[in-house]
Amino acid sequence: MSVYVYSITAAGHPRNLDGLTGVGPDPTALRTVSAGPLCAVVSDAPEELRPKRRDLIAHQAVQERLMADGTVLPLRFGLTAPDDDAVRAALEQRRDEYVQRLAELEGCAEYHLKAAIAEDVLLGEILRESPEARQLNDDIKAGSGSPDLPLALGELVAQEVLARHHALASGIIEALRPHARQERISEPTGDDFLNASFLVDEAHRELFLTAEKGLINELGTEFDFRLHGPLPAYSFV
Amino acid sequence: MTVVPQGSAAVSRGGSTGNLYDILELILDRGLVIDVFIRVSLVGIEILKIDIRIVVASVDTYLRFAEACNRLDLEAGRKAPTQLTDIVGEVTEGGAKGKSKGALSGAVEAISDTLQLGRDKDEDKEEEKEPAPKRTRPTTRRPTRRREE
Repeated sequence: MSVYVYSITAAGHPRNLDGLTGVGPDPTALRTVSAGPLCAVVSDAPEELRPKRRDLIAHQAVQERLMADGTVLPLRFGLTAPDDDAVRAALEQRRDEYVQRLAELEGCAEYHLKAAIAEDVLLGEILRESPEARQLNDDIKAGSGSPDLPLALGELVAQEVLARHHALASGIIEALRPHARQERISEPTGDDFLNASFLVDEAHRELFLTAEKGLINELGTEFDFRLHGPLPAYSFV
Repeated sequence: MTVVPQGSAAVSRGGSTGNLYDILELILDRGLVIDVFIRVSLVGIEILKIDIRIVVASVDTYLRFAEACNRLDLEAGRKAPTQLTDIVGEVTEGGAKGKSKGALSGAVEAISDTLQLGRDKDEDKEEEKEPAPKRTRPTTRRPTRRREE
C-alpha cells in the first residue's frame, strides 16, 4: 500500500500527532517510519488524491503540529512512496543532508509576506509626480489631442506602476532583511507587488514582527499587508 | 491553521480562506521534494494558480490605466502618497539600526534609471521596427514585458 509522506523530523522529536488525521476523503491515522537519526511522518495514501482544500489543510496541520515541538522538514504536498521500506530507504539515502538541514533550521520559522497598494493611490501619486503623465491626462480629459493619447498615458503609467511596485517591494524587503536569516522573493501574483518569504530565527522573531508592524503603521491603510507565520520552512528546506 | 490576533508571535491576517490561499504556493510548490517519491496529480489545482497576473504591458492594461487616471480626483488624498517614500526610508533606516541607507531613496533612484532605460529601449525599438510615423501605432502592437527583462 502506498504511503503519503508529510514531513521529516529528527528521531528524538516527540511527534505528538494526537487528534490529527491524514489526507484523503477517508483520512487514515498518521504514523511514523524511522531510520536511524531520522523519522518520517506518513499515512496510508488515499486511492485517489485530489488537492482539495481539506487535504491541503491536513498536510499543513501536520507541519504546524510538528513545528510546535521541534524542527521539521515539510515535504511538498502530494508526495507518495510505494511503501514504508521505500520511505526508510529514502531517509537513509540522504541521511546526512537531512540531519544537517534539520540542524540548520532549528529554532527557525518561515514568515510569508504579501503586500498590495490601492491602485488609485498609486495612480494619483504618478499623476502628481510625472508632468508628462499629468499633461496627457489633462489633455484627454479636456477632449483635445489625438485618440492615441490614452494609450500613451496608459503605457507611461504602466511603466511607472511597475517601477514603483518594484521600489516599494525593495524598500520593504530591505527593512525586514536585517531580522531574517534568509529570504526568498517570488513574482507577486494578483494585485500584489510583494511576495516574499523570510526565514527568521527565534532570537530575531520579535524584531522582525516589530519591523513589519512598523511598516504597516507607517505606510498606512492604502497598503494591504498579509503576513503569515510562523510557518514550516517550506521555502528554505 | 493558526489565526492569532496581532501582537502575539503568530500572525495570520485575513480570513481563514485568505490564509490558505496566500500560502497555497508554499504548500504546493515548495517544501522538500524526495525525487524517488511519486507526486500525485495536481490536476484541478491549476485553477487556483491561474490568478497570476503581473502588470503586463498590453494595450488592454494601458487603456485600463488611462481610464483609471482620467477618473481620479487628484485633489483628494493629496497628503498620504507624498509621504510614502520618506516613510519607508525612515523605517528602513530604523530597522537596520542606521547602518543601511534608506532603501527607498536608493530604489527611487533605481526607478528613474529603470524608466529611463525603458524609454530608451522603447524608442530604439520603434526606430528599428517602426520607421513609419509613430502615430500609426497598430493596436496589436505587443510591447515588451518589462518583468522578463
